[in-house]
Amino acid sequence: MTGYIIRRLLVAVIVTIGIAVISFLMLHYLSPSPVYTVLGAKTTAAAAAAWNRSHGYDRPEIAQLLTYLGQLVRLHFGYSYKLDQSVSALFKENAGRSAYLTLAALLLSLLVAIPLGIAQAVKRNSLGDYTATAINFTLYSMPSFFLGLILIQFLALDLGIFPPTVSDAVTTTWQAFTHPLQLTLPIVTLAAINVASFSRYMRSSALDNLAQDYIRLARAKGLSERSVLFRHLLRNACLPMITLIGLSIPTLLAGNLLIEVLFNYPGLGLLFYNALGTQDYNILLAYTVLGGILTVVGNLIADVAITVADPRVRL
Amino acid sequence: MTDPLRPVIEGMAGPDGGPGVQIPIQETPDGGDVYVVSSGWRLALREFMDNRLAVVGLAVLVFFVVFCFLGPVVYHTNQSLFNPLTTDLPPGSGHPLGTDEHGFDELGRIMAGGQTALVIGFFASFIATVIGTLWGAIAGLAGGIVDGILMRIVDILLSIPYLLIVLVLATKYSATVFDESMIIGLFAWLVPARLVRGEVLTLRERDFVNAARVMGSSRTRLVLRHLIPNALSVVIVNVTFQIADAILILAYLGFLGFGLQYPAASWGDMLGNAQQYVSSGYWWLVYPVGACLVAVVLACNLVGDALRDALDVRLRRR
Amino acid sequence: MSAALEVTNLTTEIQLSRSVVHAVGNVDIKIDAHQTVGLVGESGSGKSMFGLSVLGLLPNGGHIVDGSIKVDDRELVGLPDSQMRNIRGNTVAMIFQDSQSSLNPTKTIGEQVAEPVRLHRGASKKEATDRALEVLELVGLPQPKERLGNYPHQLSGGLRQRVMIAIALSCDPRVLIADEPTTALDVTIQAQILALLDDLRDRLGMATLLVTHDMGVVAGRTSRINVMYAGRIVETAPTDQLFRSMRHPYTQGLLGAIPRLESDPGRALVTIPGIPPDLTNLPPGCRFAARCAFATEKCVEQEPPLSGNDRDPHRFACWHPVDGPVKRLQEISAARSASVTKRSNGDPEHLLEIKDVFREYPVTAGVVLQRKVASVKAVSGVTLHVDAGETLGLVGESGCGKTTLGKLIVGIEKPDSGEITLGGQEVFKLRGRTLRKARRDLQMMFQDPYASLDPRMRVQSSLREPLVIQGIGSRKEQDERVRKLLGSVGLPVNALERYPHEFSGGQRQRIALARALVLEPKVIVADEPVSALDVSIRSQVLNLMKRLQIEHNMASVVISHDLAVVKYLSDRIGVMYLGRLVELGSGDDIYRRAAHPYTDALIKTIPVPDPEAERNKEDVGIRGELPSPIYPPSGCRFRTRCPRAQQKCADEVPELRLFGPGHQAACHFPLQTPMDGRAAGS
Repeated sequence: MTGYIIRRLLVAVIVTIGIAVISFLMLHYLSPSPVYTVLGAKTTAAAAAAWNRSHGYDRPEIAQLLTYLGQLVRLHFGYSYKLDQSVSALFKENAGRSAYLTLAALLLSLLVAIPLGIAQAVKRNSLGDYTATAINFTLYSMPSFFLGLILIQFLALDLGIFPPTVSDAVTTTWQAFTHPLQLTLPIVTLAAINVASFSRYMRSSALDNLAQDYIRLARAKGLSERSVLFRHLLRNACLPMITLIGLSIPTLLAGNLLIEVLFNYPGLGLLFYNALGTQDYNILLAYTVLGGILTVVGNLIADVAITVADPRVRL
Repeated sequence: MTDPLRPVIEGMAGPDGGPGVQIPIQETPDGGDVYVVSSGWRLALREFMDNRLAVVGLAVLVFFVVFCFLGPVVYHTNQSLFNPLTTDLPPGSGHPLGTDEHGFDELGRIMAGGQTALVIGFFASFIATVIGTLWGAIAGLAGGIVDGILMRIVDILLSIPYLLIVLVLATKYSATVFDESMIIGLFAWLVPARLVRGEVLTLRERDFVNAARVMGSSRTRLVLRHLIPNALSVVIVNVTFQIADAILILAYLGFLGFGLQYPAASWGDMLGNAQQYVSSGYWWLVYPVGACLVAVVLACNLVGDALRDALDVRLRRR
Repeated sequence: MSAALEVTNLTTEIQLSRSVVHAVGNVDIKIDAHQTVGLVGESGSGKSMFGLSVLGLLPNGGHIVDGSIKVDDRELVGLPDSQMRNIRGNTVAMIFQDSQSSLNPTKTIGEQVAEPVRLHRGASKKEATDRALEVLELVGLPQPKERLGNYPHQLSGGLRQRVMIAIALSCDPRVLIADEPTTALDVTIQAQILALLDDLRDRLGMATLLVTHDMGVVAGRTSRINVMYAGRIVETAPTDQLFRSMRHPYTQGLLGAIPRLESDPGRALVTIPGIPPDLTNLPPGCRFAARCAFATEKCVEQEPPLSGNDRDPHRFACWHPVDGPVKRLQEISAARSASVTKRSNGDPEHLLEIKDVFREYPVTAGVVLQRKVASVKAVSGVTLHVDAGETLGLVGESGCGKTTLGKLIVGIEKPDSGEITLGGQEVFKLRGRTLRKARRDLQMMFQDPYASLDPRMRVQSSLREPLVIQGIGSRKEQDERVRKLLGSVGLPVNALERYPHEFSGGQRQRIALARALVLEPKVIVADEPVSALDVSIRSQVLNLMKRLQIEHNMASVVISHDLAVVKYLSDRIGVMYLGRLVELGSGDDIYRRAAHPYTDALIKTIPVPDPEAERNKEDVGIRGELPSPIYPPSGCRFRTRCPRAQQKCADEVPELRLFGPGHQAACHFPLQTPMDGRAAGS
């Protein structure tokens, strides 16, 4: 099995390099040099050329690419000239808060989606199943910020239970954790969209498994329906979910971005959004690469998890 | 005249001791009757129609196409001249859905915005489907190193979060319908590529393809007559989901501040200031548009889901 | 003494969204302790539903409409589920057909066998595991202690089936229902499992219901047989009586339709025309009337009841019962036998020659670059030939390479080494148009009738396609040929407009056969032509194939795991084991003078629908499971299971030796005396 992990790691590295190359190409294409940001838009061509030469922006692309890759390996994500800070420092500052939001939402969505999906499969075609499917479809078809707006309208503005945006007082992850009311709407919104797709998948996986012969044999042993579900179905139906979570990481990052913007939550997403406005390409592409790395790592973990959980793959 | 291979059963005693009787009551052909289940497409259509939600979805789509494209013909509104007198009016006389910050009638705005959104949606998904299908088909057919390289590229691109890369591109290219369609479609072909490749790989191993090879069929004929028609169902299903996703991305682009050049606008752009509208209480500028958007996306998803089930049934039946 | 299981007048229905399936109708079955009763029927006969009804495990929408089920005088119908659960797996246990999918893939063997014990007996984990070990030993699982921690996919089919039996027996049930327990297994393993079931029944005294479609399986293992058709019991009798003097035409037809090893290939099989009725739309009268040669108006209008009363040992439901098996079978044209004898003059020009062919499939691992870690040795040095107009049969169990060889012959696969020539020419070394033209002469009829027709093409297009590709004839001529061909395979003309999914399995196979014949090939390869079909349909297709062989006078290669089918259709038979040819000879040579121990074992272990023959069968001493084709044994590949194996067998690969004209076998210690001890020519 270690051979398998090593090989997967190799693939992950190759993919990461690919991501970095693509990101560099985009960066180079969209903003070959930050000279005009630093020196100002009105600077002379000669001054600009001199600055470029001294900072290495006139070298051939390959050389620049290699430098870029070299920096990435050391986890130097570049420098934001607009904010006058290293990108890595910016990331470090904001990462904790974003991680908290995303992981909390992920956990919540799994806690709801797995039982919901199984329940739907067991009570297939009942009224409850149809209702849940209808709600799922609707949530799935909704832009996440729209759902957020609806929740803000009713629960924050009209009923005043939660604040419409996260207050500026929440600046650290710990504070986010200890002020649950502040974070409820963001977490719930982010979770709701995920519940929709997770539970659909879970329902179909559970249905597939329920049709299998081993469920019939389990019943033939005299097990109660509850035992059959918990001791036989649950584990087998959840296996595909592991892969799904790995594949959902890009979606989670996107959702995170939108929710942070909507609720004004100071995390990596909001950082990215601000960088969009200022066209701070170093931050933009660095975050894209980071997102790519997270996806690759996430898929790797999911693959390893599957080999641990599913004996058919392991042995 | 008796079939030489049908046994002549002699010496069988009947129940009353007499010789056995051989009266064929029903002439069934040796192979049995062919029970008509239903021809292929009709079967799929019936399954589709059975799914009531899908029919509703289809109806909704048709409604919106008519509403957005024919509506303005019937319901004229000013959509280009800034009118400072009528800005931000709530629904009332003359304006069933109120007006926006430029004084434009909101209902008319929704129609116009819908046109753009639908056009971008179709255009983007067209680009994505064409590129994706070709890519996946070539990878699946060629196999070997070509397949490996093509699919590695797909893997790498899929690892980059789609929304992020679209946003990055949007900083430079989002002003026109063409621009928006391109950036949305540019990275959306990855999923259909994977799907088509998978389908092609499965189909290649199927016996009916082997049978065609044994008959002496050329590669081209195999692809055109056997592989593509059978892979089509996957592509068709995927197109509906592509359209749904494209419209959602439009919404995100709009919300995050990217959009078409004023005064043109899609539904996504109209939601650009949604947050301010909500806190200012201008609900008519947010929820109607949002509802239309959700309705169209939902309809696409329902139709796509039902299509997938219906086309599956046809292959699975019996 | 009351019976262990007594079912009276059981009627089961399944409610679908638009219709009702009448799965089981008025069935009476009685089984005593220490007795095995057979329930025989084809797919759709309701036999599986019967078993599920007894256990209360009907699918969604299914319920028992009428009747009573008594186990040790305790009524099961109407019991609340909580009480029924105490009975399932405890008093009444069931074994299913597919052991692969019936075991939970993510739980160990030990856990799954111990589970019923913990449930019904309240045993602790240790106690249950001990009992699991006990039961696994009982069912003959080798190295049970090591197996406790294994997962199902690590075991072969035969071993998994033993595990299923162990699960069923873990709580000492009174009644055991075995639903097609050996259908998915290879013949030599099948015999072991059936013997095991008998042995367990003798020792533990369960009342066993053996549900199967295979008359041979029930012949030797049951004391009474019930024949089921379209949900009804049409005949029930003590085993010997059923086979010797059956009364129902269906039973008669069923037994006459099965090819047997001792059948005369010169005689036709009994055919039952048509297909079983639709259970949602049953005819008012006898359910078998539409297919019965003796049906009268009374049969169509009135449903016959079971004759006699429950004290009669032999009962049947028929207005015009027959009297025993079909006495005389039609002889097939004598012209055939003439052409067969002509060939034994040793005509040196063989039509199709296969010389020393090898084919291996790499087993790859690795994610970035697929590396070869091992290979499946599918075909390892096979030499055969087929002459014009003759039929060669290839028989063997799973992994023997017969299907691969078939694919090599028609060019779907290319051999790694060796030659395949047609009329002296290596066809698959040709290219382009010459290759396409040459392909006309080598056609194939595929195994799976569901997969070999393009689901999006109408039958007419599928049948015309070979002609279109080869550019033969005008559109009108092509249509004409297709129409005639369709008629000769017994399908109505309106079939042309239909799509494959509108046909039954047997009908699809006819279409596939027609398509293979369209080009009038010189050689046709038929891969498992009837395995996927019901028994009563099989004889239709087999008779059809026989007739077409004569009419078209083409050479064929028939591939099947069923030796009786192969022997019925073929002039010569090749027996394969793990990629090698172990014996080659005429039907008689193989059947009466088998030289190789494996051939002998095959013949002796195939269940024969003759109770006396079954009872007198000797144990051929074949043990163990089929080795993996990835790591085949050295020397003679059969040595690991051969009762005659010795050291020489591990060291030297046996060569084919001549045992008679055209009869070869590869064995160091054969069962017959070779001629001159010389190595065989070709």
